[in-house]
Amino acid sequence: MRSDRLTVVAIGVACGIVLGAGCKTKQPRGVTQQDLLVPEVLEGDIALGERFEDGVRVTDIRVDNVLFAYDSFQIANAEVGKIEQAADYMRRNRGVRLVTEGHCDERGSREYNMALGEHRALAVRAYLVGLGIDGSRIQTRSYGEETPLDAGHGESAWRVNRRVEFALYK
Amino acid sequence: MCGRWLARALAAAFAAGAVAGRAGAADVEVIKAGAVKSAIDLSGLRCSGEAGSVFQRTLENDLRLSGWFTIARGGAAVAADGTCAGGGGALRLDCQVRHASSGRVYVRRSDQGAADDARRMAHALADEIVRAVTGKRGIASTRIVTVGRRAGRKDIYMCDADGGNLRQITRDGVVCLAPSWSPTGEFIVYTAFLKGFPDVYRIDMNGFRRTRVAGYPGLNAGADVSPDGRRIVLTLSKDGNPDLYVLGLGGGQAARVTRTRFAAEASPSWSPDGRSIVFVSDNSGSPQLYVTGAGGGGYQRITLRGTENVAPDWGPDGRIAYSSRRGGKYRVCVIDQSGGGDTEIAADHADYEDPSWAPDGRHIVCSRTENYRSALVMLDTLGDSPIQLLAVEGDWYSPAWSP
Repeated sequence: MRSDRLTVVAIGVACGIVLGAGCKTKQPRGVTQQDLLVPEVLEGDIALGERFEDGVRVTDIRVDNVLFAYDSFQIANAEVGKIEQAADYMRRNRGVRLVTEGHCDERGSREYNMALGEHRALAVRAYLVGLGIDGSRIQTRSYGEETPLDAGHGESAWRVNRRVEFALYK
Repeated sequence: MCGRWLARALAAAFAAGAVAGRAGAADVEVIKAGAVKSAIDLSGLRCSGEAGSVFQRTLENDLRLSGWFTIARGGAAVAADGTCAGGGGALRLDCQVRHASSGRVYVRRSDQGAADDARRMAHALADEIVRAVTGKRGIASTRIVTVGRRAGRKDIYMCDADGGNLRQITRDGVVCLAPSWSPTGEFIVYTAFLKGFPDVYRIDMNGFRRTRVAGYPGLNAGADVSPDGRRIVLTLSKDGNPDLYVLGLGGGQAARVTRTRFAAEASPSWSPDGRSIVFVSDNSGSPQLYVTGAGGGGYQRITLRGTENVAPDWGPDGRIAYSSRRGGKYRVCVIDQSGGGDTEIAADHADYEDPSWAPDGRHIVCSRTENYRSALVMLDTLGDSPIQLLAVEGDWYSPAWSP
């Protein structure tokens, strides 16, 4: 019960940041769908810090993968809760670091999909920074279409393969 | 055979017309005629021994693959005479190639080597015949690097231009992508996850020594070497967005070429004069081809047809080959840097992706994917049928043709 209330507060804070930043940030061209959030929550791009050596994978929490539409790096409303769950865990565990791992479905060129996967990983990272997580704790890694979760070839496989995974390390 | 080819070409023409949109179908030129060839008679070249027959088979196949010859017996415009004697672990070639009716000599060649050199010696003679008879550059002595997936492991492989002499270059079994040659063929660059992140590596082709050339935080991928061999253009995300950068191979700072906050850039390829770069950007909402200056500045979209246009390779004569998704299938197309002359290479129902120009500016190697299995095929921009190059178990994709 208590943690539920905390979550609600956290979401409220997050929304405040997104909306507040939205006033300052120019809306990019082509973003018209109401149910999509623009991941840019700060002025300018957020440079990556130095790579850290991967530590030990965190096993006491599993955050579901953030899923994406075809050829898109925009975070849908329905996916936001997963990012907030990761942010909440990182707030409570200061020593934990994260690699957001971006993936694509098998369609499209392998090289373009490397860039698209990275864009997805960066979008989730930017969202986390918007939620107050220090960017130096978050690295990105794109696997493009190289490591699908579901080896199938239809829409149901593609849907789960267009994802960002949370690789948490302590 | 001819009728089927024509039907296929017509079907492709209709498909192209259907997706052409604002541009009329008349703008889309679908290649349908095979190239004009000379007949060559090799029966006067007497080959002996095991190495001799390897030489003979390789030479015949090379001349066919050159696209400029058909092999004939009697009545041919060009004829070869001489001997190619194999034995005792050695191979000795003495031959002459002449214009059959006038007797004019095109090539006179003596060569010797070990039995293992039979393929190399045949490639060299084939290139010399192509040059002497047609004035064109031959491709028999060139090579192709490619990603191979065998037994679930991905590594870099290399084969001769005819698909033979397959060698495994890396033995890492990690995700690797997009090999690309330096302009002199001295080294390749490619992307691999050797240290857990996608970094760009250089492999010297003489001795296969490997060094890391880009390992910034985030993504390092899709490198292409400049025509002067001193720089690479690649996608980096270190500044928070996947953009193109130019990086000196001797070290120094990466210079940013694109700056698109709401788009990702990928697959850069230099123009032959080193002044421009063609690349993929999803700035418009779908991946399309753009051209910009090597120092950055404005960029211009050059592809208007197809739902996705990716994997450009700027060829030696200035034309850009790329892969275009049209009617739900990937097709290899060729376009000018201004976006004019868009030409689709007629093909069957499979997907054709990741084209790379041969140094003759005529042929293209690409991957052909059918039922989720990929093979390398050679396409001809003058209209000869596609030819599968590697008949070896495994999936083969992202080929790059050497200079």
